[in-house]
Amino acid sequence: VCVKKRKKQKFRTFSMHVLTLYMVKVYVSSSEIVVNEANFVRKCIGAESCQDDLWGKLVCTNFKVSFIAHNSLPRQCTHRLLGEHDIPLACVEQVVTVNDVKGKQKILGSNQKLKFNPTELILYCKDFRIIRFRFDEAGPESAKKVCLAIAHYSHPADPQLLFGFEYVGKRYHGSTGRKTLMRPVNGVDPGGGLQTPLFDCSSDWDREIKRTGASEWRVCTINQGYFISPSLPEFFVVPVSLADQDLKQYACCFYSQRIPLWCWNHSSGSALVRMSNISDPQQQRKVEQRISSAITKSHPLRSDVFKSDLDKNLPNIQDIQAALLKLRQICVIDSFEESEEKWLSSLESSRWMEYVRTFLRHAVEVVYMLESRHVSVILLEKEDRDLSCVISCLVQLMCDPHCRSLHSFQGLIQKEWVMAGHRFLDRCNHLKRNDKEESPVFLLFLDCVWQLWNQYPAAFEFTEVYLTVLGDSMWVPVFSTFLFNCPRQRAEHSRDFASSKSIHLGQDQALCFPPVWDWSQQFSLKDQTLFNNPLYVGKIATCVQNGTVKTFTHRRSKKNYSSTLRGLPSALRNGSLGPNDTLTRRNSLMLRLRSDLSQVREQQETPSERFVRDFFSRPVDLQGLLLPQLLPSHLSVWKLYFLRWVPEAQIPQGGPITAFHKLSVLTDEIEMLQNQLRQYQGAAGTPNNLHAEHSKMYFKATSTPHQSPAPPEYLSSSFPFSPVGNLCRPGILGTPLSKLLNGAKIWLSTETLANETI
Amino acid sequence: DRSSGPRVSDTELRVYKDPSKDELPLLPEELVQDSAKDVTYICPFIGPVRGSLTVTNYRLFFRCTDREPVFGLDLPLGGLSRVEKIGAASSRGDVSYGVVCKDMRNLRFVHKEPENSLKKSVFEVLMKFAFPVSNNMSLFAFEYKQVFPENGWKVYDPLAEYKRQGLPNESWRISKVNDHYELCDSYPATLFVPVTITDEELRRVSSFRAKGRIPVLSWIHPESQAAVVRASQTMVGQNGRRCKEDEKLLQAIMDANAQSHKLFIFDARPSVNAAANKMKGGGFESEDAYQNAELVFLDIHNIHVMRESLRKLKDVVYPNIEESHWLSNLESTHWLEHIKLILAGALRIADKVESGKTSVVVHCSDGWDRTPQLTSLALIMLDSHYRTIRGFQILLEKEWLSFGHRFQQRVGHGDKNHTDADRSPIFLQFIDCVWQMTRQFPAAFEFNEYFLITILDHLYSCLFGTFLCNSEQQRLKEEVPKRTVSLWSFVNSQLEEFVNPLYVHYPSHVLFPTVGIRHLQLWVSYYIRWNPRMRPQEPVHQRYKELLAKRAELQKRVEELQREAANRMASSSSERAGSPTRSITPVQTFV
Repeated sequence: VCVKKRKKQKFRTFSMHVLTLYMVKVYVSSSEIVVNEANFVRKCIGAESCQDDLWGKLVCTNFKVSFIAHNSLPRQCTHRLLGEHDIPLACVEQVVTVNDVKGKQKILGSNQKLKFNPTELILYCKDFRIIRFRFDEAGPESAKKVCLAIAHYSHPADPQLLFGFEYVGKRYHGSTGRKTLMRPVNGVDPGGGLQTPLFDCSSDWDREIKRTGASEWRVCTINQGYFISPSLPEFFVVPVSLADQDLKQYACCFYSQRIPLWCWNHSSGSALVRMSNISDPQQQRKVEQRISSAITKSHPLRSDVFKSDLDKNLPNIQDIQAALLKLRQICVIDSFEESEEKWLSSLESSRWMEYVRTFLRHAVEVVYMLESRHVSVILLEKEDRDLSCVISCLVQLMCDPHCRSLHSFQGLIQKEWVMAGHRFLDRCNHLKRNDKEESPVFLLFLDCVWQLWNQYPAAFEFTEVYLTVLGDSMWVPVFSTFLFNCPRQRAEHSRDFASSKSIHLGQDQALCFPPVWDWSQQFSLKDQTLFNNPLYVGKIATCVQNGTVKTFTHRRSKKNYSSTLRGLPSALRNGSLGPNDTLTRRNSLMLRLRSDLSQVREQQETPSERFVRDFFSRPVDLQGLLLPQLLPSHLSVWKLYFLRWVPEAQIPQGGPITAFHKLSVLTDEIEMLQNQLRQYQGAAGTPNNLHAEHSKMYFKATSTPHQSPAPPEYLSSSFPFSPVGNLCRPGILGTPLSKLLNGAKIWLSTETLANETI
Repeated sequence: DRSSGPRVSDTELRVYKDPSKDELPLLPEELVQDSAKDVTYICPFIGPVRGSLTVTNYRLFFRCTDREPVFGLDLPLGGLSRVEKIGAASSRGDVSYGVVCKDMRNLRFVHKEPENSLKKSVFEVLMKFAFPVSNNMSLFAFEYKQVFPENGWKVYDPLAEYKRQGLPNESWRISKVNDHYELCDSYPATLFVPVTITDEELRRVSSFRAKGRIPVLSWIHPESQAAVVRASQTMVGQNGRRCKEDEKLLQAIMDANAQSHKLFIFDARPSVNAAANKMKGGGFESEDAYQNAELVFLDIHNIHVMRESLRKLKDVVYPNIEESHWLSNLESTHWLEHIKLILAGALRIADKVESGKTSVVVHCSDGWDRTPQLTSLALIMLDSHYRTIRGFQILLEKEWLSFGHRFQQRVGHGDKNHTDADRSPIFLQFIDCVWQMTRQFPAAFEFNEYFLITILDHLYSCLFGTFLCNSEQQRLKEEVPKRTVSLWSFVNSQLEEFVNPLYVHYPSHVLFPTVGIRHLQLWVSYYIRWNPRMRPQEPVHQRYKELLAKRAELQKRVEELQREAANRMASSSSERAGSPTRSITPVQTFV
């Protein structure tokens, strides 16, 4: 048994888990309360047999569903809020109870009754996990109670019942408020000294105006106290030519009084602006004209304004939600072998990849207007709170290398999502009240970023693990980032909660929720190094040569781009010779040839296609403009996010992580050498042994000579996540389900399986 | 200048920096045969372009004259599978020519017929030189006389390779029975067989195996002694013939491995096809006759199905891909499904050998198409040596070339008969499978993608002798090693181009790839490389090289400073003994 466990241990990797060794029960804080629990519960690991199942206690708290296994072992790294088998309640999508003797099944909501004693509980999670517990040996009453409790607590009736309020509220007890909490981001990053701007104060905006050289734009404070618009932040940026008085007057014409918001300035002076629809049709023309002319005045060349209608060109939030549901179906719900046959066409019919491409393509169109036509662009969306968040971020990521550093990327999300009032509360459906409002717009955005990252991995400071963990953090309901629909809602709820619970806030005006950017809330500093991309070519990446410091620029080798002509027009597609045209239909060929020729001549490539073609005909400057390749053959499924729980899809000791390992080690060596150089040159004098703590790399250089270290055995394509026990597909009711682990080994012999269970 | 060397152009169109210069780079012994001005190339991406067309005994070269920037089209004639005049001349005297290439593209030219009907058109010259074999001429490989620092024909020495595996040993011996290719003309001269089987018995076995391809050893596990054995199908026929020597041989193979009392026979074919072969005298081992042997069918389809699948794939990817139905179109070609079945078969073989410690016999019908696909992929999974650049060359020389994969027939070098039913992309499929594995294990292979593409380009180019002929015997008869240059001479003379910088050598590491469709992807940088919207990408490797350079630079600098410090200390220690020193451990270098 011992051997077996050790073997299993190999595959058990990440973090995200509190040590449950020695049955020490760790709760997040005193704010976490146990609601109900059941003993002698089995967590299903394998599907065919129950021999791998874990025995333990199932606990429902006001924060999470926790499973405390009797025989868990410590893991590599740990999540500070969640144990190995824990699921935050906010991550639970559906609670299904089953009685396989009676052949009954029920989806539980809040405050519901259950007429049978469950033998099984299946939790469908928003992060694509499917977790099963069996109650064969548990008391029927306690099993029922814990199921009802989970169902109830995963449907909070009020936002203030979300765990974050308790969590943050408790931290004020016995303290004098802000002093101990500080602004959390400041406290986290002892090494870097960089910070994530939250854009909740006018100075962050001022800095952004200066950085982008938007001298004809100013910070506007008329919405302080949220008196003008309920969904706008207190501070935002407008053209200098518009006075506060004008803005107040125009505000009422816009949907939800949302005055157009400045996002960013291109170095040419063109501005990116987002705007909601004008609700008053009589005023529309006039107001639009005023706004446009003000934006024009703010342009150094007095260029025109281009309006980009997002609602017309992009899928809506329901489309996006439907696509994700279909994607989830084929990724984790359908049995592996069945979905395998039609994987590509099912993927296509989910439309998820198509939408990713549509958003990226639209962003490229906007980039073209800014970059090549030198005009300002207004992103127009009915409410200006969903699609424009995606597009404005993508545009900035493509144009502005600054945004590709970790802190600036976080700042970008603060600016374009959190402050601009993306309805995270509704889109995440944390209250499970209105399914129609639920939509993974933010996940879609992360996928778009991943595609860019995948095509230019050295251009971003962060890794795909970072993007994945960021997506998962939406379901940990303690962060200001994802809990609210807009800054005003956060302010009101925090104030109300504080006063209703008589919390003494000290200097704070409201409860101060940590933003997700305070990563030390969730991970140790060591684990956070998984976010650092060893390939990143930052601005400050310098190279010491002969004692002088020179910039280390990214150069492509000559053979990669020289003497090639690339990026030809896509518009020629229709007029080109299909393979069928060429030789297979001989009889009709002469006629066809003629029409081909004439068509080809008439086809004109559009200016934006020419722009893209020109871009691809030059070597890429990773510190400059980046455009994605958008042929459907060049986009891939974000496997780490969507397939990490699927055991059959795991590549043991393989996957991109093995390359990451090697790169990480090399980059660490470079850091070490640089430290040594600094020591020799007498600067700063950081002692050598501090290196290990300060290293930005997860995998460190070893002092063992001769050989490059082989990737550790526990690495797999799912790292740092592990499919073990995280994906139990539902089978036919009442039967021991799916072929789970069996499917993974379908090509392997019985010997292999036998060896593993010895 | 290497760029003018035997590199096959990696993009369709090559831009010329100095248009005034005629930049046709001729190889040694390459001669211009004909050229014509005013040829129109109908580029599927940018439309018709006018220019001049030159045909040499090695390549087709088109240089445009009416565009800025000036660019050209440069491809070896070996890559052409068909050149045809399409329809009759138009009223203006224009004739259209279609060129179908083996590397996934079709070209179309329009040209005026020469007014003097006695003069041959440049395309008639092209047809002659593109298909030298059909015109009783020799392939360009026999003319090409470039000298490289290394002789690639020496890469593979069978005895040395078997010795590396610890052979011969007490269970396996070298047999000289095929020294003069009398036993089997498509097998190599050096064969390894169980010691308990005599050459006379081998002769009897050869009459029972298709084309005389008897079960012989391919690879042996260094620890368990489980062997990978390859063969062709048994000639069982409808009457259920048996051959006691064959049964004895398989028993001996099993006995040579003390770890297991079983033998697995992997028949690559779908069982229906295997059964159908009985009508033609072939068939498969019956479990009655071969006790202790278990027969497994791997459901891999035949050469005709694969050819059809690639044809469909070409339809889907060239010249442009249909954006809205890309994935379902790709699915309908079944290309990835075939790749999956081959990889899955190889995985089962490797797993049987590694985890089950059981010897395996692999065959299909003749044992020269699906069999080398399976054995060589299984060997790559099992033996890290074959994941190095030289090891991979040895693997190809051994499993594919010496064991008689019919390259001449499958590729049709210099043969104008493009409809030949023997053509099939078996080797391409194998390289695709290798590429899939390099994607899943980015640090496990010493070579990069460019290495694989180079092999495929020269599979067709007929510049090197490596992939000529159908068997070892034929290559010797044609004196290929004497009269041509090996591809490995070229490759090994500039290895740095082909090295994967992320490679980590861990000797006893077995790779078990994941064979699900989810993890297989279309090799776009090969199949879609002609599309100008496709950008070659190796940024990770590029960046890694930069980091290596940076590390080297820093190391040098640190060492310099260390020396300086040591010198200073030596001079100052005489004055002031016992001054505090920080000891600095040098960072170890490993690349």
